[in-house]
Amino acid sequence: MTDTSRILALDLYGSTSRIVYDLGLGDRVVGRDVSSAFDGIKDKPLVTQNGHDLNAEAILELAPTVIITDTSLGPWDVVLQMRDAGIPVVVVDSERNLDNVGTLVHEVADALGVPAQGDALAQRTAKEIKTKKAEIAQVVPKDVADRPRIVFLYVRGQAGIYYLFGQGSGADSLIDSIGGVDVATKIGWKGMKPVNDEGLVKAAPDVILMMTDGLESVGGVDGLLEKLPAVAQTPAGKHRRIVDMDDTEILSFGPETANVLDALTRAVYAPGDTK
Amino acid sequence: MSAPTAPAPADERRAVDAVRALDGPAVLPPARPARATVLFVVLGVLLLVLVVLSAGVGQLDIPPAQVVGSVLHHVGLDVGPAPENVNGDAVLWAIRFPRVTMAVLVGAALATGGALMQGVFGNPLAEPGVIGVSAGAAVAACATIVFGLSTLGPWTTATAAFVGGLVTTLLVYVLARSNGRTEVVTLVLTGIAVNAVCGAAIAFFTFLADQQAREQIVFWQLGSLNGTRWPYVGIVAPFVVVGIAVAVVLAPRLDLLSLGERAARHVGVDVERLRLVAIVAIALLTAAAVAFCGIIAFVGLVVPHLVRMVVGPGHRVLVPASALGGAVLLLAADLAARTAVAYADLPIGMLTALVGGPFFFWLLRRTRRTAGGWA
Repeated sequence: MTDTSRILALDLYGSTSRIVYDLGLGDRVVGRDVSSAFDGIKDKPLVTQNGHDLNAEAILELAPTVIITDTSLGPWDVVLQMRDAGIPVVVVDSERNLDNVGTLVHEVADALGVPAQGDALAQRTAKEIKTKKAEIAQVVPKDVADRPRIVFLYVRGQAGIYYLFGQGSGADSLIDSIGGVDVATKIGWKGMKPVNDEGLVKAAPDVILMMTDGLESVGGVDGLLEKLPAVAQTPAGKHRRIVDMDDTEILSFGPETANVLDALTRAVYAPGDTK
Repeated sequence: MSAPTAPAPADERRAVDAVRALDGPAVLPPARPARATVLFVVLGVLLLVLVVLSAGVGQLDIPPAQVVGSVLHHVGLDVGPAPENVNGDAVLWAIRFPRVTMAVLVGAALATGGALMQGVFGNPLAEPGVIGVSAGAAVAACATIVFGLSTLGPWTTATAAFVGGLVTTLLVYVLARSNGRTEVVTLVLTGIAVNAVCGAAIAFFTFLADQQAREQIVFWQLGSLNGTRWPYVGIVAPFVVVGIAVAVVLAPRLDLLSLGERAARHVGVDVERLRLVAIVAIALLTAAAVAFCGIIAFVGLVVPHLVRMVVGPGHRVLVPASALGGAVLLLAADLAARTAVAYADLPIGMLTALVGGPFFFWLLRRTRRTAGGWA
């Protein structure tokens, strides 16, 4: 596979596109997925439909010469159709956690034929994360009993459906790294599954992490407490400790991970200093 | 004589009428071979036009001349313009043509299955979707996908769907018969029950697999031709071809069966064997239609009835004409599903139900009137 003049980097979290840009190949990217909205890519054509579904014809219309994706975006048949059509498709790891960032950067860089830049980016990101982790360790209470219990809730609209993100979803790694107690993993919650009201009340989180769009879709914190009374029963709801971050950044675990950790830590431990 | 019964059902009355007709001067309706020919020609032309049109229309528009040119080039004849867009050929052969072929096959399968069912059950409301056969096939197919079974390699899903469809058809057949007749109400109610149970089973399996995958449930309940690839077409095609071939062979005997079971036996038809072979064919056709595309309802109801309105109830013409008509209908529906809303792929079963549902109401009222109440 030799031609990397027209690149498409698609995945559920927006990390691969971020990596391509940070490798310096942003001008060769021809389209984006719905999770990529940073400056530089947000005006490029969208190839996902109905949320996170790949649209085969939209992809072919952009005439990419290489597609980088993982197994997080479906339907898988569309990926196979791209291979049938003769476009090389490179499948990278779909796991997202703090330890994986380097591997992901290397996989993408190797696929695009720029291993040297990949090494540099991976090293820089690892260093940033390490420094940030040390800073966070200064702020986090030493005693585990004093650490905040945190859950990640995914909420969309008014259907009353909300998902708890547990082991393997990336949220576990995120919560651990900002020094919180990952309640979901403690109760054995794997993956991203809908949670019922009683489960949430029993989990009794002190802080709830959410995506910005999700929070907006239920009408802000007030709307959230009204529409999901179970949240209002938790310590987080009672003290209104809801932290939201942009959908495209919070779980992307790309090269910007250190900044994400920084922002979240501030929001959780020193909310007075943040918006 | 046994105790007085409700008004004689339609088929017995028809048998009596037929016998009465033979007593005096022949009062059979005039044969209409010309109409049948016209119908076949019209459907054939419509199919070809829709195939070319459907292959060209979509996010990446390709003019019909280039579509035909691409086919000719692939066959080896260097005639006609090749697609201009650099990915035009890829779009045609990797995405559009598999989808168009699948629509033709599935449409033909569903319509022929419907025609066969109406003949075997002697009931105008019979159809794989309504009676629950599609749902039974879908449960089996869904189970193989969810539990990752692949004992027969790529053929596993389709074969499981066949077994599921067969079991369901036999179940419905056994439950809906009493005193040698199939009752309308029992048939429809059995269909409701089977659809409910199978729908719940599909939802349960999907939940077991991935608790986020609500779209999978929608896919099974409403069907979709998105993501069709040539390997799937290769598996569906033999099922459909065999099923339709069996249906065409059975067609004359179905005509005799429509005179009534006793009359058919007197003329030499082995009724039980005919019914069983037809049921196997129905299961084969339904399995082909459902295994990769989900449940698409009402095609098997609408198409045979429309064909009957044009050329009458003779099965020799009805079965092949239904196959063609079903292909045309589903191709048109798929075109609409792909292009009605930009960027979206509507579930195709939604469109067929929007048209088929009102048709079903109308049919219900008509059956009620002519059959003299709920027979």
